[in-house]
Amino acid sequence: MDELSVVGQVVGGSFGDIVIRQKAGTDLEIGDLMVSEENGSFLILQVFALQYGSQIQDKMQQMMSGVNLEQGVVDAHFYEPDFVNYVLARIKPLARVYKENNDVKIPKSLPSFFNKLRLISKDDLKFLQKEKDSIFVGYIRSGSKVIKEAEVWLPAEDVFSHHMLIPATTGRGKSNLVKTILWHVLDTNKVGALVLDAHDEYFGRGGIGLKDHPKAKDNLMYYTPSNPPVGANRLTVNLQSIRPEHFEGIADFSDPQFQAIRMAFRKSRKNWIRDLMLTDAVDAGMESSSQSRGEFAAATMMVVQRKLRLLLSLEKDEEGVVFSRHEVFDSTTKGLNTVDGIVKDIEQGKVVVLDTSRLGDEAELLVGNIIASKLLEKYKDAKAGGELERKPVATIVIEEAPRVIGVDVLTSRNDNIYSTIAKEGRKFKVGLTAITQLSSVIPKTILANMNTKIILGNEMKQEREAIIASASQDLSEDDKNIASLDKGEAIITSIFVPFAMPIKVPLFEDIVKDKGIIPESGKTKVF
Amino acid sequence: MYFAHLSDIHLGFQKHESLQRIEQQVFEKAMDECINRKIDFILIPGDLFHVNIPEMRVQKYAFAKFRQVYDAGIPVYVVYGSHDFSPVSNSVIDLLAEVGYITKVTRATSNEDGTISLKFLIDEKTGAKIAGLSGLKVGKDREWYEKLDRTFESESGFKIFLFHGGISDMKTESGMDGDHMPLSLLPKGFSYYAGGHMHKFNHQSFDGYSNVIYPGTLFAGYHADLEDNANGQKRGFVLVEFEKDVKSVEFIEIQNTAYEIIEVDANNRKAESINQELLDKTKDIDPTDKVVIIKVKGELTSGKTADVDISTIRENLNSRNAMVVNVSKNGLTSKEYSITEAKGNNKEEIETNVFSENIGQLRFEYQELLGDEGIKLAKKLLRELGQPALINEKKNEYIPRIRDNAFAILGLNKDDS
Repeated sequence: MDELSVVGQVVGGSFGDIVIRQKAGTDLEIGDLMVSEENGSFLILQVFALQYGSQIQDKMQQMMSGVNLEQGVVDAHFYEPDFVNYVLARIKPLARVYKENNDVKIPKSLPSFFNKLRLISKDDLKFLQKEKDSIFVGYIRSGSKVIKEAEVWLPAEDVFSHHMLIPATTGRGKSNLVKTILWHVLDTNKVGALVLDAHDEYFGRGGIGLKDHPKAKDNLMYYTPSNPPVGANRLTVNLQSIRPEHFEGIADFSDPQFQAIRMAFRKSRKNWIRDLMLTDAVDAGMESSSQSRGEFAAATMMVVQRKLRLLLSLEKDEEGVVFSRHEVFDSTTKGLNTVDGIVKDIEQGKVVVLDTSRLGDEAELLVGNIIASKLLEKYKDAKAGGELERKPVATIVIEEAPRVIGVDVLTSRNDNIYSTIAKEGRKFKVGLTAITQLSSVIPKTILANMNTKIILGNEMKQEREAIIASASQDLSEDDKNIASLDKGEAIITSIFVPFAMPIKVPLFEDIVKDKGIIPESGKTKVF
Repeated sequence: MYFAHLSDIHLGFQKHESLQRIEQQVFEKAMDECINRKIDFILIPGDLFHVNIPEMRVQKYAFAKFRQVYDAGIPVYVVYGSHDFSPVSNSVIDLLAEVGYITKVTRATSNEDGTISLKFLIDEKTGAKIAGLSGLKVGKDREWYEKLDRTFESESGFKIFLFHGGISDMKTESGMDGDHMPLSLLPKGFSYYAGGHMHKFNHQSFDGYSNVIYPGTLFAGYHADLEDNANGQKRGFVLVEFEKDVKSVEFIEIQNTAYEIIEVDANNRKAESINQELLDKTKDIDPTDKVVIIKVKGELTSGKTADVDISTIRENLNSRNAMVVNVSKNGLTSKEYSITEAKGNNKEEIETNVFSENIGQLRFEYQELLGDEGIKLAKKLLRELGQPALINEKKNEYIPRIRDNAFAILGLNKDDS
C-alpha cells in the first residue's frame, strides 16, 4: 500500500466495532469506506462513529484549556500535536472481496492488527458490474465523496418483484430517486410500472421529467384528468369499472352500508353506482317494508350516497347525468377501457404514470386499487396458464404507503389490494414500490417482505429504528449514519446487494442532460 | 348549411358477388341521399377504398357515382386512410382528385426545424375551414401529430379536422386492439372532428375537442363488421347542420341486407352435441337471401376442432337459398389438443420438449406419428416448413417445392388425398 494513501491504522476493538487511529492530515467522515489489504483479498470497512483520542489525560487537557481561555495565552500550542491528539474512528467490516475472481463474501474475520487502511478507490469496486436488465440507482459514496466510476445497478426483475421501500422524510431527494429509478426502467420493457403520482411531478409536464427519456414515446404512458399535453392520455375511469370490493380497505363503510352497496351491484351490475346515485333514498326507504327483502333504510342509502358522492366527487346535472367534478370518473361512455388499456400497457413493460394530483386520498387509492386488482388477476391467470415467465415484472409505485399498508388501516379494515400484493404479489411477479416517511407504522411482516430498501436521510429516531430493524443487512450501528445522510445520499440494503451500499443518487436533471432526447430536425414527408 | 360525413366505406373489400352488390348499393344509396338532401359538402376521412388500387369494376362505379356528386355541385373532401393510402400518390384517390371529383385536404409543409405546418382549405360555398391528416398503417402517422405546429389552433371560424385513426379516449369496447392514439394528439379548438378508422358510430365531446365523430363503416370493411351487422349494428353516415358552430348531428341509417346469426358456445362440450345444436338452430331460421353467420367459440372437452361439421350445415343453408354463409371458428379450441409449453436452453431443445410433452395427447393408428418417431418426424417437418425462399425463387416455385418436400417427409404423394 502506498504510504501516501494511508488514512488510518487498526488499533483495537472487536468484530463489527474495530477501532482505528486516523492519520493526521486526513479527514475521515461517517460513512467513509476504507480498504484493508489482506492476502489474496481485501476487506471493505465503513466508518460508523468518530471520537477524539489523546495521549494527555482528560483533566490535564481541561486545565490547559483553562490556561488558554482564562489567562489569555495566545500562542500556546501542543508539542507534536499530531502525535499527541488524534481522531479514533470506529469501523465495521462490510465485505471481503477476493482479488482472483472478484467474489464478494460476508466477512467473518478481523483485519490484521495494526494493519494500515486506505480509502476505497474505483479499482476496488470492479465487482460492481452492470448486469443485463438492471436499473441504475446511483454511484458508490464514501462519506460525502462520490466515486463516479462505481455505478450501482440492481437486478430489475428481482428487486421489483420482491418489493422496494423508499423511506425518506421530505426534502431528502425522494422524488429525484424515484425519477432516476423510473428513468432506467424506461430503458427496456422488462419492468411494467403503475405510478400513482400524487404531486404530478414525474412526467415533467412543466419542465424536465420522464417525458424526456429517448424511449418515452414507446415506453411511457401518462394519464392526466384535464388538459393532457400533446400525446398524453386523459385519465377517465368509467364508473362501470368500479366494483364494490374495490372499496374494501380503502373507504370506511359500515357493514349495512356495504350490504347496500353489494345489493345495488347485484341489482344493476355495470351501472350500479349511477343507479344508486340516482335512486331517491327517501322513496326507496318508504317502499322498504322489511330489510330481509334486501332493501335498506333511507338513512343507510343516504349515507352511502353521501360517501360515494364525497369519495368520487360525484354530481348530477339537470338531465340526471352523473359526473365527477374532477372529470376522473364518468357515468356515460368515456373511460370504459381505460383500466384495460393501462393494465395492457403495464403487461407490455411500460411505465404508466397517473396524475392523481386532483384526486382526494381515497379516490386516488381507489383508482390504483381498480387497476392493481385487474393487474394481479391477470398475472395470476398467466401463472395458471404457464405464461408468467413471458410477462415483465410489474411494480406499483405508491406514495405515503401507510395509507394502505399501515397497521391502523390493516387492523381496522379488510385487506386491500396493496397489502395483498405486499404479502403474495411476489409469487406472481407483481411488487410494490412503497414510498413513505413513516416506516414505523407499517407492520413488521410487511416491512420484512420488502427486500430492497433505499434509505434516504431521516431525522426521526423512531423511523430509523424501524428501518434498521427490518433491513436486509445489519445496520445496527448505522443510526448516526442514516441521520447524517444529506440530500441525495442513500444506503441500499437489499438481499440483492452483497453489503449495505452507501450511494449518491445523481441529480435527475443531470441524467436528462446526458441521456435525454435530442430534438429532431429536418423534414418529414407528409402525405 | 349541411355536410355529410362518411368513412370506412372499403369499396372492393367484399369477395362474394352478392356482397359486392350490396357494397356497391349502400355506397350509391348514401351518395344519392347526399345529392337528394342538397348538402353543401361531403367529408370522407379515409378508407374509401379497401386497397389503394381496387379492381376495375370498383373503380368504374365509384367514378360514375362521384361524377354525379360532382355534377350536383357537392365538393367531396378526403384524406387517405390506412387502406387506400399511397406514399407516391398512386392511389385511385389521387385519380379521383386529379379529375376534380374529390379534394385531398392535407395541405402540409414540413419545416427545417422538424415541425409540420398545416394550412386550411376553405370551402367556397360555406366558408368552412378544413384541415386534415391521412392515416397510415400501424400508427405511423402519429409522428406527424407529434411534430404538428399548433399555431393554427387559434384560427377563428368554423373549423373541421379530418383524421383517420383510432382514438384511445373513445374506445367503447375492450378487445378493440390495434394502434390507438390519445385524443391529445389532435389539434385543439376545432368545431368538428371528422374521424375515420373506427367502424362503429361514435359521437363524443371532450374538453377542447367538441364533436369528435366516427360515422362507422357504411357496410363492412372487416369480417367482424358483418357479425356486428347481424347483431343489429346500424350502418350509415352522419349529417351535420352548422352555422357558426355545429347545430345538430344526425345519424342517417342506410339499410344493407338481412342477416341471421347462429352462435354456439362450445365450452366443455363435445363436437357431436355442437353439430346437433347447429342442426337444430339452422332448422329454425329462414336463410333465404340472407347473410348467415355461424360462430362457434369455446374449448371442446375432447376431439378435434375439425369434428365440428360446418360443411354439412353450409350445404344445407346454401340449398335453402342463403345469400352467403360465413363461418367463424377462430375461437374454437380443444382441450385434447391444447399445446402446453415446455422450457429449454435453446430453440432446438424447446421444440423437442414441446413435441415430447404434447405428443402423448395424440390418438392415431399410425405408429410413425407417435412417440419418439413422431417427435423426429414433427421436427423434420417443422424444419422443412421453416425453410425460406431461395434467392430469386418466385412464390409459385417456392410453395410447391416446400409442399413436395413436406409430403416426402410424411411419405405421401400429392394424390394421396
